[in-house]
Amino acid sequence: MFAMKSQRALVVLTLVIAGLLCTGPVHPASAAEFHLTIGNPVAAMAPAPSTTPGGPIIKKLTNAAVFVVRIDDCAEPAKARLEGTAEGIVGTARRSEALVLSAMPTPGVYAVNRTWPSDGAWVVNLVGTCQNLKAGAVVPIATAFAPTGFLRETTRFFPRPATPAEVDAALKTHAASVQSK
Amino acid sequence: VSGKHLRQLAEYCDGRLTAAEAERATAHLAECARCRAVVDDFRFAAGLVRQLTIAAPPDSVWRSIDNLAWARPSAPALRVDVAFRSTHFSALRLAAAALIAVIAFGASYWYVTRQTQERWPVARLDGAITVDALSVGEALETDAASRLRLTVGTIGTVDVQPNTRVRLVSARSADQRLSLEHGEITATISAPPRLFFVNTSSSTVVDLGCKYTMRINEGGFGSLRVELGWASLEWGGRESLVPAGASCTTRPQVGPGTPSFDDASETLRDALRRFDFENGGQQALDVVLAESRVRDTLTLWHLLSRVDEADRARVFDRIVALTPLPSGVTREKALQLDKGTLERWRQELAWTW
Repeated sequence: MFAMKSQRALVVLTLVIAGLLCTGPVHPASAAEFHLTIGNPVAAMAPAPSTTPGGPIIKKLTNAAVFVVRIDDCAEPAKARLEGTAEGIVGTARRSEALVLSAMPTPGVYAVNRTWPSDGAWVVNLVGTCQNLKAGAVVPIATAFAPTGFLRETTRFFPRPATPAEVDAALKTHAASVQSK
Repeated sequence: VSGKHLRQLAEYCDGRLTAAEAERATAHLAECARCRAVVDDFRFAAGLVRQLTIAAPPDSVWRSIDNLAWARPSAPALRVDVAFRSTHFSALRLAAAALIAVIAFGASYWYVTRQTQERWPVARLDGAITVDALSVGEALETDAASRLRLTVGTIGTVDVQPNTRVRLVSARSADQRLSLEHGEITATISAPPRLFFVNTSSSTVVDLGCKYTMRINEGGFGSLRVELGWASLEWGGRESLVPAGASCTTRPQVGPGTPSFDDASETLRDALRRFDFENGGQQALDVVLAESRVRDTLTLWHLLSRVDEADRARVFDRIVALTPLPSGVTREKALQLDKGTLERWRQELAWTW
């Protein structure tokens, strides 16, 4: 009887742990640690109560952007670093392109501009550094006809840089999804 | 805007308010379109004045003033005491300085308020219309086969679609304004916010940057769709902020409705229309709340200040259920419609849109 109870408890415990592991990355907004937040370009140019110097420049930068990135929960966002690459599959070829990041007037906010070809399937692999902390995100890029430049639902966040295997896996999943459309 | 408020707004622009006063002013500016326009004018004028160079008057001016003041006096004048001569000299210098100041102010005022380009150039895109420019006060109407492009000073273009009538209201550099009487236009503007406006019979479209389409019929029923950046629809103190990918309708006697993203469900948009314009009330609101996704917090944020007090908490709870409350935003302040809190919340919510 005791053995049966122990066995049942073990099964329940295993299921709970498995469930926790399957929930995937924590939504960045709920984490109090250093993390990246991704948004549509409009987020970085939300209307201020009045004109701000350099308004047209901000508009040009953000309107050309595919998405914007914000470094959150970093003690000194102005000193934080953001870098990354665009990773793609065009036809059958695997491609990697350098990323162009435009710093916005708000410290720690960057616009990501398209530097990769319009054909094929692409993800952007981002790595943020705040002092000795690192955070990562892999952002699938939407097709030309999508309402937004990136796919929010399938964006993955990491409390560290994504590994090459994780980037490849995200790219393959995205490429399969693009091909099926 | 009263003289006192003008003075405070000027101090706000110059950074002479205390931190608390500046915060209050910022919160007020978030809700007062008229004051925002005043601040924009101040900043625009200040920018121009900063570009002016200070030029010393020619020596001949001072020499003639000195000659007048110190002209060799005849014998009786020699008895004039030094104090009088000094006063006389100061008065002349003061008068000259005042004259220069008046001329400088007049020139600056003219520079700011002048019609930079009294006519907007017109280019034909389709059809047979041969108009080459539109002057302030003039109207222009396209037929079913015509499309035109207006050049808005140096800040952008407006494409006038078929069966559209527009009138140029103002071509001042700080107030480029078109009246859309009926039909459809697409504006592409690259300038600081609040320099380009489109008047319609039921709302004013304010460019906050950069590309949008506005259509309206002769009855004042219209809609705004924003493709890039932000625009707002304003009418009688009511303001709807519309980001890229979203639309907002406007109706006569009511003004702008509540904006929603174009990929929101048809059910949500239909309920929103009933809520805004057909007294849909609580039933319509229930549908909007139930249908909302994270991205539809754009709509819910606007509804916070448009529902009655009893429903406000429900709207608040729905937003919080969709996306966590950011730091600096409290339930109490949000339900009180504290402007600074709502502004902070909107800027944070925009990261989920």
